[in-house]
Formats: sequence, structure tokens, C-alpha cells
Amino acid sequence: MVIFRPIPAAAARSPFDVLESTPLPGLDPQWSRVVTARTEDGERGFHVLDTAEALAQRGITPTGTILAVHGNPTWSYLWRGVIAASLEQARPGHAWRVIAPDQLDMGFSERLAHPEPPSAGAPSYRRLEQRLGDLDALMDALDVDAELPLVTLGHDWGGIISLGWAVRHQQAVDAAVCLNTAVDHPSGEPVPPALRAAMAPGVLAGSTVVTDAFLRVTLALAEGGLSDDVAAAYRAPYVSHLGRGGIGGFVADIPALAAHRSRGVLEEISAGLSRWSKPALLIWGPKDPVFRDRYLQDLMERIPHADLHRFEGAGHLVSEDRDVAGVLFDWLGQQFDAAAQPSASPAPAAEVAGLHQQLETMSLSWRRDRPAAVDMSSDGAPAVLTWAQLSEQVEALAAGLHSLGVRSGDRVSLLVPPGNSLTVVLYACLRLGAVAVVADAGLGVRGMTRAVRSARPDWIIGARPGLTLARTMSWPGRRISTEPLPPHQARLLGTVASVERLRRGADPRALQELPHPEPEHPAAVLFTSGSTGPAKGVVYTHRRLGALVALLRHQFAVKPGASLIAGFAPFALLGPAIGATSVTPRMSVTKPSTLTAEAVAAAAAAGEATMFFGSPAALRNVVATADRLSVAQREDLGRIRLVLSAGAPVHPRLLDQVQEIFPAAEIHTPYGMTEGLLQADIRREQIHEAMKTSQPGVCVGRPVAGVRFALAPLQADGTSAADLVEPEQAGGALSEIVVSAAHLKAGYDRLWHTDWTSRRDTRDGLLWHRTGDVGHIDDAGRLWIQGRLQHVITTAAGPVGPGAVETPVDELDQVARSAAVGVGPVGAQAVVVILEPAEGRRLRDGRSPLARPEVAQAVRAAAGEVSVSAVLVVDWLPTDIRHNSKIDRTALAAWAEKVLAGERVSAP
Amino acid sequence: MSSPVQSLPNSEHPGGEILPPARILITGASGLLGRSVAAHLAELGYQVTTFQRSPSSLETVRDIRGSLTDPQAVQAAVEGQDAIIHMAAKVSVSGRREEFEQVNILGTERIFNAAWAAGVQHVLYVSSPSVAHGGSSLVGAPAAAADPEKAQGHYAQTKAEAELIAEARGSAGTSVLIMRPHLVWGPGDGQLTARIVDRARSGRLPVLGSGAPLVDTLYIRNAVEAFAAGLRRLPLIAAEQPVAGRRLVVTNGEPRPIGELLAGIAEAGGAPRPRFRVPASLAAAAGSVIEKLWAVTGPHEDEPPMTRFLAEQLSTAHWFDQRHTQQVLQWRPRISIDQGLAELAAHVQRTGGVL
Repeated sequence: MVIFRPIPAAAARSPFDVLESTPLPGLDPQWSRVVTARTEDGERGFHVLDTAEALAQRGITPTGTILAVHGNPTWSYLWRGVIAASLEQARPGHAWRVIAPDQLDMGFSERLAHPEPPSAGAPSYRRLEQRLGDLDALMDALDVDAELPLVTLGHDWGGIISLGWAVRHQQAVDAAVCLNTAVDHPSGEPVPPALRAAMAPGVLAGSTVVTDAFLRVTLALAEGGLSDDVAAAYRAPYVSHLGRGGIGGFVADIPALAAHRSRGVLEEISAGLSRWSKPALLIWGPKDPVFRDRYLQDLMERIPHADLHRFEGAGHLVSEDRDVAGVLFDWLGQQFDAAAQPSASPAPAAEVAGLHQQLETMSLSWRRDRPAAVDMSSDGAPAVLTWAQLSEQVEALAAGLHSLGVRSGDRVSLLVPPGNSLTVVLYACLRLGAVAVVADAGLGVRGMTRAVRSARPDWIIGARPGLTLARTMSWPGRRISTEPLPPHQARLLGTVASVERLRRGADPRALQELPHPEPEHPAAVLFTSGSTGPAKGVVYTHRRLGALVALLRHQFAVKPGASLIAGFAPFALLGPAIGATSVTPRMSVTKPSTLTAEAVAAAAAAGEATMFFGSPAALRNVVATADRLSVAQREDLGRIRLVLSAGAPVHPRLLDQVQEIFPAAEIHTPYGMTEGLLQADIRREQIHEAMKTSQPGVCVGRPVAGVRFALAPLQADGTSAADLVEPEQAGGALSEIVVSAAHLKAGYDRLWHTDWTSRRDTRDGLLWHRTGDVGHIDDAGRLWIQGRLQHVITTAAGPVGPGAVETPVDELDQVARSAAVGVGPVGAQAVVVILEPAEGRRLRDGRSPLARPEVAQAVRAAAGEVSVSAVLVVDWLPTDIRHNSKIDRTALAAWAEKVLAGERVSAP
Repeated sequence: MSSPVQSLPNSEHPGGEILPPARILITGASGLLGRSVAAHLAELGYQVTTFQRSPSSLETVRDIRGSLTDPQAVQAAVEGQDAIIHMAAKVSVSGRREEFEQVNILGTERIFNAAWAAGVQHVLYVSSPSVAHGGSSLVGAPAAAADPEKAQGHYAQTKAEAELIAEARGSAGTSVLIMRPHLVWGPGDGQLTARIVDRARSGRLPVLGSGAPLVDTLYIRNAVEAFAAGLRRLPLIAAEQPVAGRRLVVTNGEPRPIGELLAGIAEAGGAPRPRFRVPASLAAAAGSVIEKLWAVTGPHEDEPPMTRFLAEQLSTAHWFDQRHTQQVLQWRPRISIDQGLAELAAHVQRTGGVL
């Protein structure tokens, strides 16, 4: 049984005066001061971290103030990174003064006397209202220039207090920034279990004050774990139970019940926040067992204009896990210093129409009874929808969804495999103005879970496997099944409706009242493949998707009545908007490499297709299975006039083989990315022509209509220059590719900092996108790609794109594919080439990771001017799931670094 | 006190460089590197004197024979020189500590004392990367400060002490440049190249562990040119660089897996590639046993076949950041490793051996 012993009062003191053997890494004694403030119950001593003196010493006058409020059970030590960064950036005429107090009873501030253990009614403990008053008193006591911009910053309980203080001082506070917190807890809903344990009346005092359990648990929430020194610094004010009264007091002050004495103030804050009109930024660590994503959702609903940066993989102590200061100061710079960001794009390739327009036109034209969508994904005869049927089904479902409550702006996650039902659901959403969240199975279960959680859909529409996954992984959103489910299954999967019934039961006339979505409304969130970090959500507006449709029609002369086989999902979904028939061939969605030549031929026959869109993995398998084609099937493929390979670069050797299968087709390999699906284009013959010039990398052709490229040349450390140059000015130097076009992304979803970084250029008043791809543009205006910016190898001789080595090495007979990575320190890296042997070839002796000397010699000769230090061999190069073609060079580099240091490691 | 440091005639170092026909003393010109540097400098027009116990057998230089342990002989050799390249050292992995101290530490002190007394202003001290490191991996490492505590074995420890002496003298009146060539090889090299080839021929050259650790080496002709550049630019580097910038590890700047290097040198020498592998941990254990056996059964003519230090050298990465070296020397290795191997193979075919 735990016994509470009364806690005596104690004065505030500086940690640097009292701590003898605990270092405080990252904290400068110059920042530490004790301030006396006149609070509602008398003079109280506060320990405060304040950069006023540090700035004064450097002769810098602050131009703004940040008030940073810690939570429970941390102390102002939490803000050391923000403080250090503020001083690093401070210069005359531009300097933020940071004031980070320890709250009363917390950190090294004054300890109140507590004769009784903490509980909701215990009078000796600070309540929310008093803590707001404490901040008033403290700000009065500190000499803060009221004329300067004032920004609040908070975390955990400090989030509530800082936001509450900002709401009460709307006139004085210019912006509010918050890390993981919550301003509302619906009193009917259960408290998160992680917190409930500590709040139980019999446990509260024991877990928070008498023992340090609550403290230890909180510090363990840092995702990478805290270093011993840092953990000790956090614990320093709370090592004795005499210091922990405030921890218990805070927990007791959580107004989980309607009758709680702090409930009224909390409601005042949460209501006030809904009227907050000034800039706001939320920085969030989603792996927080207490402040989970639903609290983030609540905050976003209250402050819809808030910017959000959600650090995938970070937890409750997000400022320990990630560079929060970097995001904060870039954001403050944008809010208070920068000129307005440009939003203009070059003119689109052709006139942009609504995404629905073509569907409606087709359904009213003479083609109304021609196939619009042919689905061969399941056994049996192809499922065919005519334009009239498709249009009717889309309208009926849109009306049904609307009657269920789906509204413009709602996010709808689509867990439906490619096929007719996905097409119907997607266009119904687009018609309503609901935002389609497309997290494809190519991300893998973990990747999809992360993606769906980050996008936070209001609705999930799925087939049974998708819904089962949603249920098991507790994805957010009300669930709708594609097929009607028997009641017990509907209960099990927690669905509220089915597409079938919604479509049948609704009155399409209701739709006539509903306006079409505005061009600037978001239409879809797509996800990057996640081969370079967690998948990022990419937001497209109706206008920008419309521009893509216009471009596709213009670039590939896709006319209404054309028919395309969709082996590559993103383009396939646009079929109805293009006015082209889309045929879904038989293949496993997660494995494009399961698409066979026969399946393509069958699709060509059934849909009278003239175009085939595929990924490189799909094309490889089509080539591999071509010998099974019958004469009739070959004839069907002979009618294809356009083959498009998208998703990753392919070798022209493969394209030559593809050409044999599709003798009448023009073969294109467009270059693009999730953030801008089509940027450049090149034909097979042009690739051969370009390769004769022996330039480094892969030639992806010239910009398509409406696309402008600029270059950010790479520097010795492998980063790209801040300023853009025109392609002609770069002189062929290795550069990051930067692009501007009407069909680019509108932005990254809930990744404010990533978005800001990608669009930071302002050249010619255009909205640009930093692609993260590196390469060069040659004299003939052709773009050559050499890989990703983060995979650039920084040798002493200058930065090297992996593609400069891989492209010629892949040419070697004995090599299936290769990866070039760097090992060693930035600027002095050694180039390492890792080979995947061609089938049946042995390139190494026994289990040695080293290539045989003659293989290494051949690789070095192929690499030409780039000096290759080591050549290693693995059975398989690790790749992404979606395309099965993006090599995980980051993992390979880490592996090679170990191998080449003599460590014993297993295959990457 | 009047300064004993004489300034060189201007014609000999316009712009602060040491140019021919300056008078240069090279200690330790009996080894491949010393002899090659001496011959090269003489060819460039420098007036070269060599100092060692055995004759240098070079016709273009003046030989003074003597020992570093003899202060009078040292003084006589140093007298009248414009600069010294101090290369002489006791190099081996076995032997008594006192012998290393006599030559490597005290010998270096004698050179600096004699230089000071004779007013020789410039000393290029030849050291080894092993003075700064223990057995851990070096991956694109900078030239760290010498550390007798970390260095392993008598050679590296005493060279580390000596380098600290050179560094101290460099801050006290003499202009000093420290160059640390790493694993010099090529035609004529009896230390590394000939041994690898001999062992490979008799099937006694194992590959330790995976053979994958990246190791930097230096082809002999590149080494010679690097030293010529170091000598020429010594006054500038000593004047402009901070202490850390006057230490230069010198390599080909082409780290290669150790297994591949050994195979390449063996093959160039007409021997088969090493075939059998020994786990690195086993080699290290065997090395320490052999070391002890060697110590109690000595003295030996040859080096022990394996030492703990060697085992670690062969199973961990050792490669260096060459940017600073190449920049201050204004030198680039002209012969790549592959070209060097071809030269070695041609040499062996022509002469029948490495030496």
C-alpha cells in the first residue's frame, strides 16, 4: 500500500545552482533565471529559460517573442532544441526571444505545500484556471515588448494552457503553435487507457507522486529512446517525491468528467479555439498512446486553417524524436518574413474540363451503349459497363452516398481493387466533391495503415479484404462495403451501408440540387510509393487532375472512343475522364509482375483496345510469357498502337522485346512521379538515339506540353543549390530537377514542412516542385535522370548520381541489375556497386560478398570515369512493393558500409 | 639570441617553394621508398645526400653512411642542407622495444637537434597512419593526431612518440610537414609486394574473413611524386596550415577490398590468387600466440607469419579522406591501382621477380 506523506513548500531555484552531479546536456546556464511573479495567491517563484540575456550579449534586439509552455511531467528542458535553434538563427533585425517557464510545482519552479494527496477536489493543487493566471503574472513580471509579434508554443498540458492563454489574449498573440495535445475530451468518451491507469482515484497519488511511475512511463515514450544523460535531465527536478506534487496535481486536473472543476475552463478554451483566426501550426507525433490522432482531428476541425506537420513514426515526445525547431522556424519565417508564395502554374496542355464532363458527354452521345469499362479481374466473362450504365451507376451511387451523409470535402478511403466497382465509386466521390484517398495495396499492410491513418478518412469504402484490414488495424472512418453483406458480417466488419444498396435505394434526382465541385476543391489524395521513407500523401485538386487529363489526351492523342488496357492504376482511373474505355486485365494488384501476355491479349480482344499502359515489372512478365501467345492472340496485340511504360525507367532492351510483341505500337516511357504523373516523354527509338551519346543516366526525353523544368545544381555535399537556373545555364551539371506545371500536386497532405520544402522556389512567380530526382539536361534539351537526391554519392571528385554508374553496369551480360551507393563520410565517399546476377550466373566465390576480380574489373571498366572502390554481389536487390523496381539504396548503403568495414552481416 | 635559422637564397624558393638545386638530405634511402624518392629528386635537379648504414647504390646522390644512433654522424650529414626528408626508421612487427625507441624516437630527436644546430629550417617527417589508430575500422578517416596510447605494437607506438616530437618542433621554429604514406607497393618493394607474391606462390597467403574491408594503398610512383610535391611545398604548408593541416595521410585515393588487392598483387606477381579463407577472429587469436612464441624463441631473421595487429589490419577497413592532402600538395596520383598492377606484372615478367 502506498502512503502519501505531506509535501512542504520550497522556493524556486536554478537547476545550475542545485544539481551537483546531473549534467543538463543542451542547456546553457546563461538561459536560466528565477523570476518572481505576483499570482492570484501571492508572489511565486518561477524558474524560466529566457534568451533575453544571450541575445543582449550579442547586441541583438529581439524582433518577436515565443512563449513556450511544457506539459506534464516534463519541464522547460523540453524546449532546449527550440532555444538553441532560435539563437543559432538570431541576427540583427531578425531574432526570436524564447521564454520557457517551468510551471508552478514543476521543473525548478516553486513547490507548493501539499498537506493532502492530489485529487480532483484537493485545494492545494493548481487548477487550469490558476495556471492561466500564472502565465499572466509571469508575462507581467518579464519585460516583454508588447509591440513585437508574440507566438505561443505548447506541448501536452502545456498545449492546452498555451492555447487557452492565446485564446484569452487574441489581440496580443499573433500565432499559436502546438505539439501533441488535446483541448477537448468529450466527457462521454473513455479516457485513453494509457492515462486512465494513472487517473484511477486509488492509484493517482501512488503512480504520480509517491512513486515515479508516471514520470518513467512518459520518458519512455520517446520513439528512439532517450540517451541516459537526457533522461536524467528530465528526471532531475522529480527525483524525490517532494518534487512530484505537481505531477499528481496535473493528472488530477484532467477534466475527464463533466462535473470536474476545470471542465468549464477547458470548454471555454476549446470553444474559443474554434474562433481562432490567426495563423496556427500543429506539429504531431502520431505514435502517442494518449494524444491519439482523434485529438489531432478535433484540433483540425476547430482550426481548419491550421498548418499541420505530422511526423510519421514520431511519438508523444515529438520534439525529442524529430527536428521540431526546424519546422517551427521555417514556419515562423513563412508567416512573418517571407513574401507571399506564388501559386501560378504554366498554362495547361489543353483546355481543362471537369472530371465528370466527359462521362456525361459520352453517356449522351451515340457511343452511349459502347463499353466504358471492361473488368476482367475476376473469373468468368468480362464485366462490361457501357457509358450510359457507368454514368447512371455513378450518379445513383453519388446520390446514395449523399443520402448516407457523405458531403463535399469528406475524405473517402477507397480499398477497392482496380475494376469496374472502383471506377464507379471513384467517380461518385468526385461528383460529390468528396476527396478520394487512394492508398493502394502496393504499399503493403503497414504502409497502407500508416497512409490511411495519416489521411484520416471520414469514410472507408472497401471490398471484404480491405474492410477486414480496416477493422483489424482499427483504421478511422465509417465503413461501407462494396457488396451487400449478411447482417452478421456487416456487424463484424462494422459497416454502415453497401455500395449496391446505396446505388439501388437512392433517387438520382436529388443530385441535381448538388453543385459540381469547384476546380480548387481537393479531389484526391494519392500516396508516393514509400521507397524513400514513409509514403507521403499527395493532394490533387479537381483543376489539377483535370489538367492531367487534358495533357494525357493531348500527348497521346487519346480520343473519345479509344480503349486502353490498364496495367498501371493511376492512369487507368482517368479513363472515364479522358473518354476512353478502360479495360482492367487479369492480374494481381499487389504484383504487377503477374500480368501475362495472354491476359493482355484477352483484354485487347474483349475491349478492342488500342493502348496498353503498364509498369516495368508488368512489361517484363509480358515479355517473359510471350511464347505462350497463340496466333490469334498475337493478332489482337498487333492492333495495339500505343504502349506506355510508367512508374520507373526501363532499359530499351526490354522495350525492343516489347516492340516484338506489339509490332504496330509506338512505345513511350513517360517520366513522372506521384506528385506530377507526366513530366517528360520519350519513344523507344529516341532512347536508342540518345544512348548513342553516352551521357550518364537514363534519358527520359523532353518536357511534355505545359511543363517547365528548372535545375538546382548539386553542391559538393550532395545537397541542391538554393537558387534555380534555367536548363541552358546549368551546362549539363548534375542537378536536382525542379518542375512547374498545371497538373502538379496541389500539396503534400498534413506534411507542412515537406510541402514547404518542395515548393520553396519562387522563380518567375511560379509554383515549383522540387522532385528529389537528380540528373542533367543536355544540349538537345533532353532530360537524363541519375537517381534520387538522397542517393547521391558524394565523392572527393564531386557528387555522382547512382544512375551514372548503374546504367552502364546494367548493360553487362552477367548483371540483372545493379545499385551504386556511397560509403564513408559526406564529400569523401567511396563508390560501391552491388550486383544482382543475371539468371544462372555466379559472380562470386562461395559465400564471399565480393564479386570475382574479373567481374569487378568489368564493372570498373563500365563505370568509366567514376572510380569504383568495391563490387559486391547479392542474390536479390531489395525493392519496393508497388513497382518492384525501385531499389532500396539506403538499406543497401548501410549494408555495404558494414560489409566493407569487415563486419559480419547477412544479406541486405 | 641570434637565430640560427638561415634563410635560403631567394632563387631556391621563389614564392616560398623549395626548388632545385636546393640541398636535400634523405635519411633511410636503403628502402624502396627512400631510394626512389632520392633518385627522383636528383633527377629533378636537387642536390641529394642520403644517410643510412648501407649504401644507397644510387649514382646520382652523395652517400653518407652512418647510424641515427650516432649524434656526430647525424650532425655531419645535416650540416649544410636546405631541407631534410627524415624517412629512416626501424620498421618491423617484432623486436625489442628499446631498439625501436633508439632509432625511431631518439633518432628523430637527434635529427631535429642537428637541424636546429645547423640552421636547417625545413624537415619533412615521414610517418605512418598507424600512429593514430588502434584496431578499429577507419572509413574515410581524416589524419587524426598521433597517439602512442592508441597505437599498437612497438613500431607504431614509437613512431607516434616521434611524430609528436616532430609536431612540437614544428611549433617551435622549424618548419615541419608530416606525411604518412599508407601501404606503399609496386615493383621493387620487398616489404609488402614481394612478401604477398612469395606467400601466394607457396600457397600460404590466406584471405582473412570476408576479404571485403576497404583498404587504401599507395603505388610507389605516386608516393615518390607526392613526396616531391611535399618537399617543394613544405614552407608554404608549414606557414599556412594549422597543426592538424600539416599531417597528411597519403594514398592512391582508391580504397579497394583487401581480398581483391591481395589477389591483384599476387596475380601481377605471377602467383595464383589466394584461395583459402581464415576467420578473422581465429587469425587474431593465432596472431597473438605466434607473437608470443616469436618473442620467446627469437631473435629471428624474418617477421612472424601473423601478428594480432596484422590480423586486425587485414580484417578491418583502413581508408582515408584524401581531399586535404591532394589540395595542399597540389598533387594527384597519376597511376591508378589497375595501371600499377599492370606495371608490376610487366616488371615481374621482365625481371623474373618483384625486386
